[in-house]
Amino acid sequence: MAAVLLLLPWQAWATLAAVALAVGLAGGRPLWRAAADRAGSVARRALVRVVRQGRIPQHIAFIMDGNRRYARRRQQAVSQGHVSGFDRLSNVLEWCNALGVGHVSVFAFAINNFSRSPDEVAALMGLAKAKLRELAEKSDLVRRHGVRICIAGNRALLAADVLEAVEYAEQATRHNTGMRLNICFSYSATDEIATAIRRLAEDVEAGRLDAAAIDERALESRLLIPGPDLDILVRTSGQIRFSNYMLWQTAKHAYIRFVDVLWPDFSFFQMFCILVSWQLAYGRIQQRRTACT
Amino acid sequence: MLSAAWLVALVVLVALARVRGGRVKRGARRPLLDGACAAALRLVQLAFAAHASLQAWVRGSLAQAGLDVHELLLGGDPDAALERVGDFLAALPQRPEHLAVILPDAALRARGPPPGLAPSDVDNVEALCAWCLVAGVPRLSVYARDGGLEALVDPIAARLRDSKMAPRAFGGRTPAIRLEGAGRAESLGARLERPDLCVALWSRAHGYPALAALARDLCGAVRRGALAPADVTEARVAARLRDPAGAKHPELVVLWDGLACLPEFPPWQLQDAELVQVRPGTRSVGDALCRALAEYAAVEKRWGK
Repeated sequence: MAAVLLLLPWQAWATLAAVALAVGLAGGRPLWRAAADRAGSVARRALVRVVRQGRIPQHIAFIMDGNRRYARRRQQAVSQGHVSGFDRLSNVLEWCNALGVGHVSVFAFAINNFSRSPDEVAALMGLAKAKLRELAEKSDLVRRHGVRICIAGNRALLAADVLEAVEYAEQATRHNTGMRLNICFSYSATDEIATAIRRLAEDVEAGRLDAAAIDERALESRLLIPGPDLDILVRTSGQIRFSNYMLWQTAKHAYIRFVDVLWPDFSFFQMFCILVSWQLAYGRIQQRRTACT
Repeated sequence: MLSAAWLVALVVLVALARVRGGRVKRGARRPLLDGACAAALRLVQLAFAAHASLQAWVRGSLAQAGLDVHELLLGGDPDAALERVGDFLAALPQRPEHLAVILPDAALRARGPPPGLAPSDVDNVEALCAWCLVAGVPRLSVYARDGGLEALVDPIAARLRDSKMAPRAFGGRTPAIRLEGAGRAESLGARLERPDLCVALWSRAHGYPALAALARDLCGAVRRGALAPADVTEARVAARLRDPAGAKHPELVVLWDGLACLPEFPPWQLQDAELVQVRPGTRSVGDALCRALAEYAAVEKRWGK
């Protein structure tokens, strides 16, 4: 082999050296891919800088719909679609952190998703266990940016191993002071409201609260996601429903955007467009909120 | 030439800054950059606003789905047009059993006339009832945040009782309509055990205050010892919020507002709802409802599966 290489003309050696250098610079990826990623990163930072000159929403919620259809379109297993969805979630959290969004809520698993096939539910639970630990232990968002992870949902429905991962992620990040990430897992809005009423009942029974003094604020403060007010609700995949997600919060003048793109395909440019249109609508939203109080 | 002159001037300024300071201070560079980004953001927002206006104009100019309801009904033979529209709606693969319409309240109307709505809500409710009869939607809830509709319950009842639009929409027969609002219910039109259309007038009071009142009631029962906190379950809350006549929660909510925000619509009742926003350029109630029903017909309900 060495003898064969030594017999190559100098042009071949020059070409091999240039290709090796390019691949080396690109970290093992094709050069065009590395250049495109770099350009995308620069453009994203520029757009973040531009949009930060205006008002930034403090609380954004995402209904991450479309993972299974994404997988089916690519002839992949449904579980692979959920993995792609988690990768997109990581990107979106980085974008939100860079933009200065204080609270992000994501709809990861609904209570009525337990009616899916046992294989899919098992795969989703396995993914949740692995990714919660990964987020809490290794992600830059937690280690460098101090993201705090909170899980909102009906924990009584979760298996012991999943519950352990949930509690680990919350405990590991409970002292963090950065962006708050609410992961709605085993969640429904009606269950959330009923749970808040039950918490009120527990406080009344314990003598901490007078039943006659219960008002909307008392109920709202006991929700799994009590605040701040939701600024934007985004649902991907083109569906135009709420799917029993954050209904109390959404009905209070949250800006609703149904985006016709599958969750793993959700791009920063779409996020940018949503933010700019919210900034344009902000004055009218605040007028309505003020008129209501 | 002018661009080249600006470029030269910029280079000279930057060079001067370097000479004066020895090196360009970070503190001076950052505000310049932020200022440029702020200007860029204003340009982007202007472009978005212009694009949204253009889209609204285009939508208002085109007849969508080949069916311009407003034009049909204003044409030479409105009865034939109504029959055609009725056939279209009957052919839809799915229709909601409970339709909710969110109308703008008085404060919003003061800022400008909403597209497709009459100035009087009595006219609007009558039109909505007529279109629900055409479409075969058995339950209609009309919501205005400020309670303005409930204040009009008597004029609305009088209008529906003597309506010429409703029988015309119902194939020439007098429909049996049940009207609920301001804490009372009355039957209008034909007297039937099962009404052809139930109309409810809602306000903010049916949402957040009702949930707080339910919480007070359940907690009062806990305090008296009639109930334990563990008995306060989702099923118990849902049973208390269920419609007495057994109707489902709204399956389609039509938002009559240019801004995609819900004005404190009852949150519990949104759980199964699809949301359709009335587009700018809508010319009549029928136009908006037909389009909303057509969008609803295309929806795939998965119920979490």
